[in-house]
Amino acid sequence: MVESKHQWKAWLYLSPAIILLLVFTVWPIINTVAMAFQNNYTAGLGTAKGVKIAYEIGVENFVNVLQYENFGQILKNTMLLCVATVPISTVLALLIAVALNSIRPLQKFLQTIFFLPYVTNSIAIGMVFAAMFNIIGLREGNTVADTWGIINNAIMLFGGKPINWINQGSTYWANMVVMIVYIVWNALPFKILVLLGGLQSINKQYYEAARVDGTSRRRILTRITVPLLSPMIAYVVITGFIGGFKEYSSIVGIFGDTMGPKSEPGRLNTMVGFIYDSLNAGTIGAQGKASAAALLLFGIILVVTMINLQVSKKRVHY
Amino acid sequence: MENKNMKTLTAKDLQQVSTASRVMGILVKIGTYAFLIAMALIVLFPFYWMIISSLKSTAEYRRNIPTFWPEQFVFANYAQAFEEGNLWQLFKNTAFVGVVSTILSLVITILSAFAFARLEFKGKDLMFGALLATMMIPGELFTITNYLTVTNLKWIDTFAALIVPFLVSVFYIYLLKQNFMQIPNELYLAAKVDGTSDLKYLWKVMIPLALPTLISITILKMMGAWNSYIWPKLVTKKESMMLVTNGLRNAFTSVDGQANIPVQMAAVAIVSAPLFMVFLFLRKYIMAGVSRSGIKG
Amino acid sequence: MKRILALLLAAVMMLSLAACGGGGVSLEEYQNQTQPNATDHSGKEVKGNFPVPEVGYDGSAVTITFAHTMGAKLQAVLERGIEEFNKLYPNITIEHSSYGGWSDIAGLINTEIIGGNQPNIAYCYPDHVAQYNMAWATVTLDELIASEIQVTRDDGTTEVLGLTAEQIADLQGGGFYEEGMVYGDGLMYTMPMSKSTEVLYYNKTYFENNGISVPTTWEEMEAVCKQLKELDPNCTPLGYDSEDNMFITMCEQYGYDYTSATGDEHFLFNNDNNKQFVKKFREWYQAGYITTEALYGAYTSGLFTELDASINHSYMCIGSSGGASYQIPANGAFEVGVAPIPQVSTDNQKVISQGPSLCLLKGKDTTDQQVVASWLFMKFLATNLDFQTDFSATSGYMPVLASAQDHEGYKAFLDMADGYSNLMALVIKVGLEQTDRYFTSPAFVGSSIAREQVGAMLAKCMSETTSDVDTLINNAFESAYKECKYHAG
Repeated sequence: MVESKHQWKAWLYLSPAIILLLVFTVWPIINTVAMAFQNNYTAGLGTAKGVKIAYEIGVENFVNVLQYENFGQILKNTMLLCVATVPISTVLALLIAVALNSIRPLQKFLQTIFFLPYVTNSIAIGMVFAAMFNIIGLREGNTVADTWGIINNAIMLFGGKPINWINQGSTYWANMVVMIVYIVWNALPFKILVLLGGLQSINKQYYEAARVDGTSRRRILTRITVPLLSPMIAYVVITGFIGGFKEYSSIVGIFGDTMGPKSEPGRLNTMVGFIYDSLNAGTIGAQGKASAAALLLFGIILVVTMINLQVSKKRVHY
Repeated sequence: MENKNMKTLTAKDLQQVSTASRVMGILVKIGTYAFLIAMALIVLFPFYWMIISSLKSTAEYRRNIPTFWPEQFVFANYAQAFEEGNLWQLFKNTAFVGVVSTILSLVITILSAFAFARLEFKGKDLMFGALLATMMIPGELFTITNYLTVTNLKWIDTFAALIVPFLVSVFYIYLLKQNFMQIPNELYLAAKVDGTSDLKYLWKVMIPLALPTLISITILKMMGAWNSYIWPKLVTKKESMMLVTNGLRNAFTSVDGQANIPVQMAAVAIVSAPLFMVFLFLRKYIMAGVSRSGIKG
Repeated sequence: MKRILALLLAAVMMLSLAACGGGGVSLEEYQNQTQPNATDHSGKEVKGNFPVPEVGYDGSAVTITFAHTMGAKLQAVLERGIEEFNKLYPNITIEHSSYGGWSDIAGLINTEIIGGNQPNIAYCYPDHVAQYNMAWATVTLDELIASEIQVTRDDGTTEVLGLTAEQIADLQGGGFYEEGMVYGDGLMYTMPMSKSTEVLYYNKTYFENNGISVPTTWEEMEAVCKQLKELDPNCTPLGYDSEDNMFITMCEQYGYDYTSATGDEHFLFNNDNNKQFVKKFREWYQAGYITTEALYGAYTSGLFTELDASINHSYMCIGSSGGASYQIPANGAFEVGVAPIPQVSTDNQKVISQGPSLCLLKGKDTTDQQVVASWLFMKFLATNLDFQTDFSATSGYMPVLASAQDHEGYKAFLDMADGYSNLMALVIKVGLEQTDRYFTSPAFVGSSIAREQVGAMLAKCMSETTSDVDTLINNAFESAYKECKYHAG
């Protein structure tokens, strides 16, 4: 397959992408790295008057980030959310996609429904979660409330004790469970769409052959569907991890800018949340700190992705 | 001959296992449907919430204990959204940006994915690794640099600023590359032997086979135009270029800064409807495409 | 991938070396320098950074941009104002644009400043201005305000470029003028435009039926809460919507330290005095007297308008004057009364002033004529009585001019005030009567972090279960302080 004389062709096909990436992605990345190594880099200082600032070159920004008292907590949140949500959402999406692909009646209808989240405003999603988990008017030793939220209503219906999920005085783990549910929920529609697309690209003849051979359903799933779909599964997992480490907006969706219950601001903060906070604070060194944090995050994601790619090289069937 | 043999075999077998497997089959089917419907309800809930919220009065919406069905349907929210939101202009701009960027983006994505999936060249793995690496830095940090670039290019207040910076998405190139790789290599080699050119092969074989994924990308890219917020506001100020989210986010804000959520939801529902139609139309097209191309190969 | 990393690193090193080779001031020098004082045309040093050009506004055609956060309704009012303004100055074209919500506008403008595309006028909060100041992008108003240059309008009449003594008095009478100087350097950066405050909403019907008098001090408030709790054990007498405002207001009323815009230490709130009132409010919360938005889990206005006596409800609510419409119960079920918020002592009456102001921005390419034209428009928005009253009646914000109360059309609006559907007017009336009480907390880069932290801290201290209250409070103060120091120290 190697045809060296056609090498230029590959580069030709790639050229539009490469040129645009160089301008709008690589250049900003280079700038990010540059900012990270200029001590206390602050964007915009003096620009309105044409004053230029010479920053010292060094690693102070990195030191600043690592010295942050809650850095460990941030790292832990980032990792936990990623590790917990990617497998759950992938397996669930795979099951849904396979099931959707296997049925005949109602298939179109159900496919349409699974598409609806795309045309749902994100504010609406946040609101629903509030209605599901938010307890309003908790008082008197936490035994009386005006509304317990839908989830607690269900728990109480089955005789369980209501749990303080996201409100004042809730535990870290309760918060985490809500975040995991929310992130999985958010991630599902895209993963279903991708996997369904992949399933529909699988040659029907494989299934026909399997049917003729009388292969069991489970065997079809594990021996035909999953292997043939493995490139898409690998895609969903790898990009899922990359996205998962950059989790941020979902936490704001539930907890608001405080990134935790009001009394515990920052309890669920993540790396990207930290980056945002730094940028928004707009204080001296904001961009320097944010860039350094981004590079640290880059390092983590890089390692994880390389492991992922290594695994997928062995497992993925092309 | 063969046919006859098989027939007798299956007939015999069927008699023995038919009852058991048929029961099993029905159970699996019921399970599948139950699972799908349960998941569908869960996934649908926010959409339902958006619709009922768009029909509530502000007072009812703000009530501490949320109602699951509007006590009174306030269709006036939709009228207000139409009146105050300048929806048609917003929709036109967004559709223009969405369609142009989707088409250009598809071309770039297809070419790149093809190069990665089917062509061999020096530094391919390295190149692909580099592309993946660009996804690992949070894009929020790109804003300032890109803003300066766009300013220097004198693209402020032009559609170019809204479209060009986001034409390439490694996310989609990767997705399509994976999809292309699902297509057996033998097809490509056979085409080579026949002397079919790369582009013709791409057009005749790869694209039809990858149609479902391409449609997914189309939808996602379109949605991008519908959802982008900070960047469009930064690079365009003119009303004539405003995109949906920018228009909506603020049009219905009450004076103390609290959004009039019911009207906002109504506006979102109105501008999302065309998108949904596009999806329905495309889906019909996917199915046709799949059944046509599925036979070959 | 390793190779790419190495490459990237090398590129960066080169780039950063190149960056510092270019010269320029060091960060420390920049920080120690205040904005350079400018000199005027005669070479005299002026107050602040903007010397007024000798000609004032020369009547030439200028286009200026105005960034705000107004929704459709307020934009209509703004456009009416622009129309009026253009009758006086037809050559000044005003392009206005809504930048989204409050969380968006500051970030967008900060980015625009870097690219040199900032608007000429921004609708802003003091925290935002502090950030623009850091980039030296704001125009100080002192010289403009003091300018006695005559400007000719289109109809041939003239006006003074600066503010007249009457105008200043009118603005000061409105109570919000001094807010332009909360940046610690004695210079004026903003003009007030539309303001809100906090008021005490109470269930007037219930208060009258039970002979309860409206509390004017916190001491009385405690007694009223106790009384209400006895009358109706199922209630939480008082809801305070914003913990942030609650903490800041208490500091101000007691005269205790909160923050400072000047000096080496910005964050002064970690002191024993403040811990005392926090402790007191904890007791109130534990006794069921008070709740806040975070503690309750939803807007306390919802608690106030709750009519179901079997669940949580309140008889008083301290909330924003801008949110009057949310304090009206369904079907006019009871009459709402509005009063100034309780005070610590009658000698030092304080209530928070909020709401956006206007500031002028100047970049490298902004011409002096643009600045002067922007000032003229900004002055118009702040001092034109028709515009101010129109804006107030539409928005529920308070007008910033004392003379608004004498404005014919506005009087009619205020006269409609009642405790039912015209609550907005009633709230504004109360707001206009307490103009001597307004305060604004110091603004500096990081002041918004302090706000958020003290609010969170107060909520935590009031509600968390503990056997050792003092340790809880000490730790909460300490960690809030550390967080502020880390992000903005």
